[in-house]
Amino acid sequence: MSELIRIVDSPSEIAAAAQRLRERVGLRELTARRVIEVLERWGTALQGPALDTIPGVPFLRLWLRRGTLEPIVARELGSSALDGNWWSERGGHLRTFPLGVVGHWPAGNIEIQPVLSLSCGLLGGNAGLVRVPSGLLAQTKALLDKLQEIDVEGVLTERVFMAAFDHERLDLQRAMAASVDGAMIWGGEEAVTQIRALPFPHWARLAVFGPRLSAAAMDGECWGDEDERQAWCRRIARDVWQFDQQACSSPQTLFLERRDGCDPGAFVAALAAALEAENRAHPRRDIHPALTSAICLARASWLLDAAAHRALFPLTPDWTLLIGAGADIPQPTQGRTLSVLLVEDLSEPIARFGGAVQTLGLGVKNAAREAALARAAGHNGVDRIVKLGGMHVFGSPWDGSDMIRPMVRLVRHMPSNSG
Amino acid sequence: MPEHLPADVAQQLDDLLLGPPFAREPGERHAKLLAVLQAELSYAIERHAPLRRYVEAWPVDYRAAQRITDLPYLPVGVFKADPPLALVSPEAIVRTLASSATTGQTPSRVVLDTETSRRMVKGVTSIIRDFIGPMRRPYLVIDTPESLVGGAQLGARSAAIQGLRSFATDITCCLKSDADGQLRLDERALLAFAEQVGNADALVYGFTYVIWQYFVLPLRARGITLRMPNVRLLHSGGWKRLQDQAVPRETYAGGVASVFGCTAERIVDFYGMVENVGIIYPDCEHGNKHVPAFAEVIVRDPLTLEPVQIGAQGLVQVCSALATSFPGFTVLTDDIAEIVRYDGCPCGRRGTCFRFVKRVPKAEVRGCGNIDTLRQRATAL
Repeated sequence: MSELIRIVDSPSEIAAAAQRLRERVGLRELTARRVIEVLERWGTALQGPALDTIPGVPFLRLWLRRGTLEPIVARELGSSALDGNWWSERGGHLRTFPLGVVGHWPAGNIEIQPVLSLSCGLLGGNAGLVRVPSGLLAQTKALLDKLQEIDVEGVLTERVFMAAFDHERLDLQRAMAASVDGAMIWGGEEAVTQIRALPFPHWARLAVFGPRLSAAAMDGECWGDEDERQAWCRRIARDVWQFDQQACSSPQTLFLERRDGCDPGAFVAALAAALEAENRAHPRRDIHPALTSAICLARASWLLDAAAHRALFPLTPDWTLLIGAGADIPQPTQGRTLSVLLVEDLSEPIARFGGAVQTLGLGVKNAAREAALARAAGHNGVDRIVKLGGMHVFGSPWDGSDMIRPMVRLVRHMPSNSG
Repeated sequence: MPEHLPADVAQQLDDLLLGPPFAREPGERHAKLLAVLQAELSYAIERHAPLRRYVEAWPVDYRAAQRITDLPYLPVGVFKADPPLALVSPEAIVRTLASSATTGQTPSRVVLDTETSRRMVKGVTSIIRDFIGPMRRPYLVIDTPESLVGGAQLGARSAAIQGLRSFATDITCCLKSDADGQLRLDERALLAFAEQVGNADALVYGFTYVIWQYFVLPLRARGITLRMPNVRLLHSGGWKRLQDQAVPRETYAGGVASVFGCTAERIVDFYGMVENVGIIYPDCEHGNKHVPAFAEVIVRDPLTLEPVQIGAQGLVQVCSALATSFPGFTVLTDDIAEIVRYDGCPCGRRGTCFRFVKRVPKAEVRGCGNIDTLRQRATAL
C-alpha cells in the first residue's frame, strides 16, 4: 500500500491525521501556482503499463496540466489568487484563504475521481483527507505512488491523507466528517444522502456533486448527414464507453430528431458498428454479474414491452442499443446500454429534463438552433451542454458549481487607515 | 396459430421425458433436446409477438443454431411481468405458480396449462424416483396443512410439497400457524408420525429455512431426537436466510440429521425455481447437481456470456423442454454456479453436473450516475 493510503480501523486515527493536516496548512501557506507546478509534474509522470489500464488516466494527464488548471483558478478565484495576492475592490482588498482540511468522498465508479476531487481542494490551499472507495484501492495506489515519486519535497504529500475503510463503518465515516472544514461529496443518491447526514462541524462547507444522469441529442441535419455519420457515431461511442457508462456525465439516452428522407436505421447500424469498434479497441476486463443480468434484462424487457421497440446487441454484454420513440429518458441500465429514441422535435425531451440531467451532448448543425436548445436545457436544469464526444471532459464548472471556490474563504480587508 | 405442439415434436419431447432421466449419452441427448427446443421456440413465437421481436433481435438465428448455447434465452426478471408471460389463452390456464419472493420483492409467476402441468409432474417424478426409488412411503411435510391445499394460484413452497405427493402413502404436516400467523411445531403430530415410521423408510420435505427455524431449533431446544434412521429429507428454497443467521451447509445437514437420528447423507438439498417447472436438481452422493434428459444447464461467464470451462463459475442458464404454456425454454437466472463436469460423475449419472454457489450479489449502488428517472419525471410535473 502507498504510504499515502492507510487502512484505517479507528476513529482516533482519522482525528489524529486531520489534526496533523490542519497543522501543516497553518504552518505553510501554499499558492495555487506552487500546487499547479507539482500537479503538472505528477500528471507528466502518470505513464506506464500499470497506469495506462486505469480508465480516465489520459484525461487526468490533461487535467493536471498548467494550461488546464491556471485558467480555472483564474476564473474561479481571480488571477491574483494564483500567487496568493490580495486584489483591490471598492476601497478594500480581497484574498482567498483555504478552509483547512477538506474531506473528499469520491464515488466508487470513477477510478480517477479520488485524485480529481483531491486536486480541487489542494488548489484552494487546503489539505485533503480522502476516503478511498474499497473498489478503487489498487488504482488509487498506482496514481498516488507517482505523486510520491515526483513530490520529493512533500509539498503536496504532506497535505494528503488517503483513508481506506469499508463504507459501512459508520464510526469512521462520522470521525472523518467531524474532522473536516469542508467536504466534496460525489456519488449516487444513497451515498450522497448518507454522507450529507454525517455530523460535520457547523462551519463545514459541503459541495455535493451527483447523482445525475446525462443525455445526448442530435438534429436530423446532423445524424442524417452521411458524410459525417461515422465521425458522429465514433464520438457517441466514446462517450458511452468511458467509465462503463456509470458516470453522471455518461449519456444514457440519445434523442434523434426525425427528418424526412433520413433513415434512422442506417444511423443506428453505423452506431452499432462504432460501438463494436470501440469494444475492439477498449474491451472490458471485468464485469459485475449483476450488471450482466441487468443488461440482459434491459434487452429482453425493452423488446417485450412495446411493438415499436427494436434492439441491436451482440451475444456478449459488451454493448446494447435499445431503439424506439419517445421524449422521456428510460430508467438507465448503464454498462454501455444506450436508448436511441426518435422525437419530432429536440425541444420535447429537453422540456422534460427537470433537473436530473447534468450534461447534454449535442450534435446540431445550425448554431442559432443550438443556442436555443442550450438555453432551453439550461432552463430545465442541465448544467453542461457540450459537443458529442466531449461529455466526459471534466472541467469547471461541474454540476453547475465551481470546483475550487466552494473550498476557499474569500476574505475582505478594509484598511483601517483608509479614508 | 397452432393450439398444440406439432405431433412429431410432442413425440420427441415425450421420448426425452419418459426415458431414464440421467442415462443418455450426452451427444445424442443434446441433439434431440436442441431439436425440441427449436421447435418449441417456433411454436412460441407464433403465439407471442413480443417474444418474436426478442428472438428475431437475437444475434444468432435459432433455426440455424448448432448448439443449445446459441439459442436465445430470456432473463429470469421478465417473469415478474404482470400479467405473466403466457403462450396460451387465459381459458387454458389451469394454475399460476409464484416464486417465494422475499419481502418487498415482486415474485416471478408462470402459468400452466394441462399439458405443461402433466409434464411438470412427470418431470419431477422421474427425477425424484432416480434419487429415492419408486416406492411410496409415509410423507412428512415440515409445513402447515394449508400448504397441501391446491388452487389456481400456488406458491413455490406448496408446489414443491405437492410435487412429491406421488411418493406418499399418507401425508402428515408437522407445523401449524398460531393466532399471530407464526409457524409453530405441532409436536403431537410429529411424534405420532415418528412413532409410526420408526426404522421404516419415510420421505420428508420442507423449505430450507423453515426446517431450520421452526423444526430443528425447537426440537434441539427441547432435546428431542426422533430416531428415524431411514428417513430421506429433501429441502429447497435457498440459503439466503440461513446465511444471514450464519448457518453453513455442513452445520445445517448435521443439525437436521441429528434431530432425525440419521446420517447427514440422507439430507438432500435440491435447487429449482418456478420458471423451470418440472425440473429439480438434487445433490447426488458426490455433492453434484445433475441435469435430466429433458433439460440442460449452461453456466455463462458474466464477462462474455460464453459457456464456462469445467471448474469455472458463472451465471446459471436453465433450459427445459417441459413448459409450453409460458416461454421458459431457456432462462438466464440470477444465480451463480460452477460446472463440475460435462459428463462422467462418479455417481453414474450422465451429462452436465454442477454446484450452486450463490445468488448474484447485488451490485453496490455507488456511481454518481445512479439515479432514478422517476424522480426526474416527478420534478417535471
